[in-house]
Amino acid sequence: MEQLFAALFQLFELNHLAFLFAGTMLGLVVGILPGMGGTSGLALVLPFVFTMEPSYALAMMIGVLAPTTTSDTFPAVLMGVPGTSGSQATVMDGFPLSKKGMAARALSAAFSASLLGGIFGAFILSISIYYAIPIIMAFGFGEQFLLVVLALLMVGALTGDNFIKGLTSCFLGLIIGTIGTAPITGDPRYTFDTLYLIEGVPLVVVGLGLFALPEIVGLLNSQGSIAKTLKNEKGWATGLKDVFKNWFLVLRCSTIGCLVGALPGLGGTVVDWIAYSHLKQTTKDTSQFGKGDIRGVIAPEAANNAKEGGALIPTLIFGIPGSGNKVLLLGGFVLIGIEPGLDMVTTNLDLTYLMIWSLALANILGAGICVAFASHISKFTLVPYYILAPVMICLIFFATFNINRDWYDFIGLLGFGLIGITFKNFGWSRPALLIGFFLSTKVELLSYQTHAVYGLSFLYRPVSIVLMVLCFLTILLLLRQRFESNYSAELAANKLGQIFYVLVLMCLPLSMIWVISNLDYRANLFPISLSIIALILLSFILFVKIADLKKLELLQHPIMNFARSNIFEITAGFNKQFHYYVSFLGFLFLNFIFGFPIASALFINLFILFHDRKAYRVSLSISAILLIILWMLSSLLTLQFPNGAIGFLIELPWWLGGLY
Amino acid sequence: MRKFLILLLVSFFSLTSIVSAEVDFSGKTVTWVVPFKEGGGTSRFARFIQPFLTKYLPGNPDIQVMHIPGGGAIKGSNYFQENAKADGTFLFGCSTSVIVNVATGNPLVKYNLSEYRPVLLLPQNTHWFTRSDLATEPHDMSKLIERDLVLYALKTPASADLFHIWVFDKLGLKGAKPIPGLSSSGGYQAFLRGEIHISSHGAANYVKKVKPEIEQGKVVDLMTLGIIGTDGSVSRNPLAPDAPTFPEMYEKINGKKLEGDDLEAFYSIGAAWSQASKSMLLPENTPDEIVEVFRDAARKMVNDPEFKEKALKALGPFPLIIGEEAGEIVKKAAIFSDTTKDQLNAVLKKNRFTYRVK
Repeated sequence: MEQLFAALFQLFELNHLAFLFAGTMLGLVVGILPGMGGTSGLALVLPFVFTMEPSYALAMMIGVLAPTTTSDTFPAVLMGVPGTSGSQATVMDGFPLSKKGMAARALSAAFSASLLGGIFGAFILSISIYYAIPIIMAFGFGEQFLLVVLALLMVGALTGDNFIKGLTSCFLGLIIGTIGTAPITGDPRYTFDTLYLIEGVPLVVVGLGLFALPEIVGLLNSQGSIAKTLKNEKGWATGLKDVFKNWFLVLRCSTIGCLVGALPGLGGTVVDWIAYSHLKQTTKDTSQFGKGDIRGVIAPEAANNAKEGGALIPTLIFGIPGSGNKVLLLGGFVLIGIEPGLDMVTTNLDLTYLMIWSLALANILGAGICVAFASHISKFTLVPYYILAPVMICLIFFATFNINRDWYDFIGLLGFGLIGITFKNFGWSRPALLIGFFLSTKVELLSYQTHAVYGLSFLYRPVSIVLMVLCFLTILLLLRQRFESNYSAELAANKLGQIFYVLVLMCLPLSMIWVISNLDYRANLFPISLSIIALILLSFILFVKIADLKKLELLQHPIMNFARSNIFEITAGFNKQFHYYVSFLGFLFLNFIFGFPIASALFINLFILFHDRKAYRVSLSISAILLIILWMLSSLLTLQFPNGAIGFLIELPWWLGGLY
Repeated sequence: MRKFLILLLVSFFSLTSIVSAEVDFSGKTVTWVVPFKEGGGTSRFARFIQPFLTKYLPGNPDIQVMHIPGGGAIKGSNYFQENAKADGTFLFGCSTSVIVNVATGNPLVKYNLSEYRPVLLLPQNTHWFTRSDLATEPHDMSKLIERDLVLYALKTPASADLFHIWVFDKLGLKGAKPIPGLSSSGGYQAFLRGEIHISSHGAANYVKKVKPEIEQGKVVDLMTLGIIGTDGSVSRNPLAPDAPTFPEMYEKINGKKLEGDDLEAFYSIGAAWSQASKSMLLPENTPDEIVEVFRDAARKMVNDPEFKEKALKALGPFPLIIGEEAGEIVKKAAIFSDTTKDQLNAVLKKNRFTYRVK
């Protein structure tokens, strides 16, 4: 108890507050930028946190995570585009409200619900910390192994549009995660004798590649959606009153948010829909839903902020990420040298409390800023994306380079960017890929550890049985709720391309088997088993896709019908997105020639001017500001930027990408 | 303005130091390459020493710590080998894992560690302990020796953890079986849950996490690695003065003194694992007078009252090793004799690992 308040006072030190505030501001911004969410936001700050004191770093990272689900309401209500994946359900009633001229009311209700939900989540988290020690002690290797496997099953089955494709994404992630030194024998696996891959693919590269790049090209492509401003909007007080009138709904949805968030691996992506359908089921008069019922905004917003607290529970005590962005948070833990588990509730308890307070405070700050500066912040949705995008690309490249200071990371980033873009467009699950990638080593080790200590007897331990029952019930329940919608394959274009893509994906497990088959069985058993399962799943998907294309009779069978739902993704504008992606390759090429700083300035100018020839003032001033920031950062972090070929010809200062 | 100030400072210091020493670093920058991430043990070690070193080196050079993580510390170490100038402007932050890469003959290693010129070494020590129900009294291993299965944590055989296998083999623990992939912290958690039987920790975590459990009677000490003196004597660890050292335990169990090949292997392992746990080295071929200037600065640093006050908490209780004897230790740690390698490979084989020391 003493530590609880000591942590609060610690947080109110100027430095902590400053980092928390900085994190919160960044979180608000990535929340507003549609598509960017906590995962991208964290990936951007991770390369910087390892120079910080752990407590500052934690305040900042939580600061980034907490308010993204608050500010994501702006685009949801004003543009009808979810700001993060957690606010998809908010659009259902938020956008109609805004069209009726009640945007202010919707926003104010959403912010207050977010605030209450967030604080509720922090509260539940702090209570659960008290009971964590016996839970950790009851979870041996066997239980942890089950927990991880069940987490993977859940995230695979539920985050994709099609559950088999989701599961397969998960397995592909697991396979990518086995690249690097084999944990049992120390053999290099799939590294092609390079140093770069010895420690596996860096997490930040995977996170930014999978999440940030695809969203940026997606938004560049969807230019033109007209946003509303908040000029002269009234109704802030009404929105607040709505929340208080529906206090019981807020409480229920916060509880749902916490519970679903705490299910390891699931978190984020489905919680808003679960809250929304809970609301529908418990309301008598459903006529206004989808047309602008304020409760349709309150329910998902309360739930998606509450889930952050819930999702931190498995993250902190088992190191199993509660959602996609927690993967990055755990990556941050590694960087600042804290290990999830027993330490978090014993020797590092002060840090845990600091995180809980940060979570509560960041929610308050986030909601406060959103309300106070709503009309200013809403202008963010008006900035043309072709101005934001090149700046964000430069930021992402910078963050990537800052991890290992390695050119290969750029190639890795663009590689995973391509995977991300194709995954997104062809309806494969990116969260499942990321979580599979992250948990891969853990699954492999736990399976060996469980085998060494228990053999198969772990399956009969009481906690294990409870876990298995719980998991299958949840999956059944959620699957039923999620895939009731009807599937119309006719809308999907580019079907041949999507079938071809499955064949491309098969190359990964095939080449994995080919490359590592000569290693010791303890080094290749795990990746080869994964590869075989992945191949079976991929073949099945291929079969269903072809059957769907040929309209075979046997698809009428209920199970096959279920497998076939959303087997093709309705893609739009993939080619254009790909063009934008190619322009990033151009940026990489510029980097090779000019080094990072000059290449960034050039890229920003070229990109903006290509879209709007008259905007040279904007582009010049943005690139000038960027150069100044890079110059400051290079002296602050003693950072030498990637130098280009030009550095060999002309002498340049090192902050411009010179050699010395 | 800033340039002018720097110029002023530089000229001031160059004036004052012309008289005092031939080696002078005024206005220079010393780059301290650390082949690990920021925040790790070696990084903390370097950052702690950095200000004191600036204070006591002639000319008070700027010291910047440059982190080059990756490739199991090989990337940064190779970078140092290829880029460091042997004029005192480059320092290397070394740790047990950097040494083990060399000692075990990792083919990717390009750095010639045994020829580097050590300035100072920071020793560490390992404590082994078990659950109280697995020992009749503290420091007693007879119950464990009788057991069919004694599980312990092992991160990977391609690391210093390999030495655990050797230690338990020499003590005749027939049931000893490593559980791979467990960090020392993860291993300790499993130990507390009762899943593994022997666990170990370094000094800092021993004091913080294990001592309270020992006081509650749940855990008992088994032994420590022992503090190896520069003359080869092994003394007990002041943090657990009652616990026998490994050579004592060896004698008690095997009925004969640790000697011959076993003793030689113990010295090599002790040098890599304990004595040179963290170290600060200059590149090979650094002139003697520059090495001496650094060692002088390190000696002065050790006597600095501020250093004395903070070192116990930041670096642990074991005194730094400075001077020529440090060089011998690094050589011993980096170059394992063929008999030592054979011993290690034999225990690796016995435990069915495919990894081999080369």
